[in-house]
Amino acid sequence: MSMKQAVKLRRPVLKQLTQASLQNEIVLSHSIWVRIFHWGFTVSLTGIILTGLILHQPPNFLVLNFGKVFIVHLASSWFAMGFVALRITDAILRRDNSLIPKIEDLKHFPKLLGYYFFLRPSPPPNRKYNSGQVLMYFSWFLLFLVASLLGLASYWQGKHLLWVWHMVGGFQVLRWIKFAVTIYFLATIPLHIYLSLTEDISRLQAMVTGYERKPPP
Amino acid sequence: MLSRRDFLKLVVEGAILGNFYQLITPPLAQAVAAGEVNKLPVVMIETGTCTGDTISLNNIWTPTFSDILTDILDWRYDWTMLQAQGDVAIRVLEETYEKMPHEYILIVQGSMIQRDGGHYNHVGFKNGKLITGLEMVRHMGLKAKYVVAIGSCATYGGPAAGYPNPSQSTGVQNILPERRVINVSGCPAHPDWIMGTLLHLALYGEPELEKFGRPKLFYKETVHNRCPRRRFYDQGIFATEIGQKECLYRVGCKGPVTYADCPIRRWNDRFNWPIGCNTPCIGCTEPGYPDLMSPFTAHSPDIPFPGGTKVTTDSIGLGVLGLTSVAIIGHAVTSLYKGRIHKNLLKTSLKGKHQPTVKKVKTFHQYRLKKI
Ligand code: HEM
Ligand code: SF4
Repeated sequence: MSMKQAVKLRRPVLKQLTQASLQNEIVLSHSIWVRIFHWGFTVSLTGIILTGLILHQPPNFLVLNFGKVFIVHLASSWFAMGFVALRITDAILRRDNSLIPKIEDLKHFPKLLGYYFFLRPSPPPNRKYNSGQVLMYFSWFLLFLVASLLGLASYWQGKHLLWVWHMVGGFQVLRWIKFAVTIYFLATIPLHIYLSLTEDISRLQAMVTGYERKPPP
Repeated sequence: MLSRRDFLKLVVEGAILGNFYQLITPPLAQAVAAGEVNKLPVVMIETGTCTGDTISLNNIWTPTFSDILTDILDWRYDWTMLQAQGDVAIRVLEETYEKMPHEYILIVQGSMIQRDGGHYNHVGFKNGKLITGLEMVRHMGLKAKYVVAIGSCATYGGPAAGYPNPSQSTGVQNILPERRVINVSGCPAHPDWIMGTLLHLALYGEPELEKFGRPKLFYKETVHNRCPRRRFYDQGIFATEIGQKECLYRVGCKGPVTYADCPIRRWNDRFNWPIGCNTPCIGCTEPGYPDLMSPFTAHSPDIPFPGGTKVTTDSIGLGVLGLTSVAIIGHAVTSLYKGRIHKNLLKTSLKGKHQPTVKKVKTFHQYRLKKI
């Protein structure tokens, strides 16, 4: 895959790594755009979700300026959409299909579940991401696009995107779907954080540095 | 004659001053007298309804209401106003159908009841046969110049179509797909909305409609956008109970999702309106009312489950989050116990030639005699 290209590291870093008599190979696993997307999206989605929940039900222990909460929601949404656009462009340019589920991913899924339920000692082989990750990330993309579409429809108040209104059948339904999407994000994000902290910590640091240490092929 | 532009101005001015009809009737009566506009024949059919829209409409104060009925519109058939009954009355309807095709306005009030061929709703008796509302509306609707559905039931099904909708009620547009139905929604519809739409039809033809078929004249903006309490909302100052003077968002106000001009037009001759008397907007002009809007004091609708129970949206959300927390904590504890977390972290974080792996070794237990 294009991901595992030869590495160009800054010289002092490389020197230190060689001095540490490293056997494994250093490979690039996350391109710079992927990392920018990941952390940018993390921040903006957190903003969207927190302000969305406040818009849904103003908490009685916080007196926030609602006009500003609303602006934060909108601004975070525009940023998040921008980051997603960036990631999609990057994926198209690099022909990166690591986030698109394939049949073989689905075939591995039961075995992966077996691993998570402690029925198997190790996870089945996978592409860049394992089948659970692919499914979850892909569902995030889809649901983010759905929620953004609904958000834009309500933002334009029926001036544009009339077909969206006809499809969902009213503002209350639109709100309800966005709330459901938010709950889905809130339920799956902790899972994502938990598994990235406990399964493969070098993948986590790779999301910062971009590089991962792998045994030579 | 009054230009369309002036008419639109009067619609807003009349709302603010509260004398829409006094402003609008004199120029209209003149125009009719001068033969510039024809009196528009109107028939109203009531199907699955509580007649609330008629009562609302009749709230237009006389003498203006009687003036409109006699001078501007040709109000031909309306159960509440009829002076004839039986065959004589039905004949008026038939006459309108035969002599004025594509000329009359059909107003429908009430939901279309579809269960068992519509036989839970009869609206007439002809040739020894009961006529269902469904038949009558289709019959009259196909030859009408305009079809106007008034009230929540006729437009989108309304309370009659509420969960679990035993009568299989629906709105007029669904049973008359051939025609474009003009929806004047509301529970009930405001007299100005009904009469304003009729006058627009009489004078200038079909008004511009918004996304759910309602005249933009009245349904262009949300209640929230023009609400006098909007400044409270923007500052996050909310009423915690019904009856308080602040923004009613937290007690379930549906103003943000409801398209209607209530804040400027108000009700009962401009006397007051729901938010004006400190109760939340219940969203009566929207499709899906009342199910999607109830409980009226909650933000999101309750979700019906098979078996007839209803669960609040928020408890579904909390339930899902609770389940995932339990699952994650359970998994973490099991992983710690089985040593999986140690193994993974060591394997993926240690440097060196040989990647160490760990496995759980046998534990020995010590046994000691209990003191007796
Ligand atoms: C992943 C993306 C998004 C999520 C998860 C999200 C979530 C939410 C939530 C939970 C609410 C409160 C709904 C409620 O009342 O229960 C909300 C409201 C709102 N969002 Fe978003 N949102 C997203 C994207 C957007 C975007 C892209 C826009 C527009 C540019 C937007 C505009 C709005 C508006 C206008 C409201 C207020 C609607 C109302 O009055 O309820 N949202 N959002
Ligand atoms: S009372 Fe209702 S309509 Fe008025 S500002 Fe508050 S939420 Fe909006």
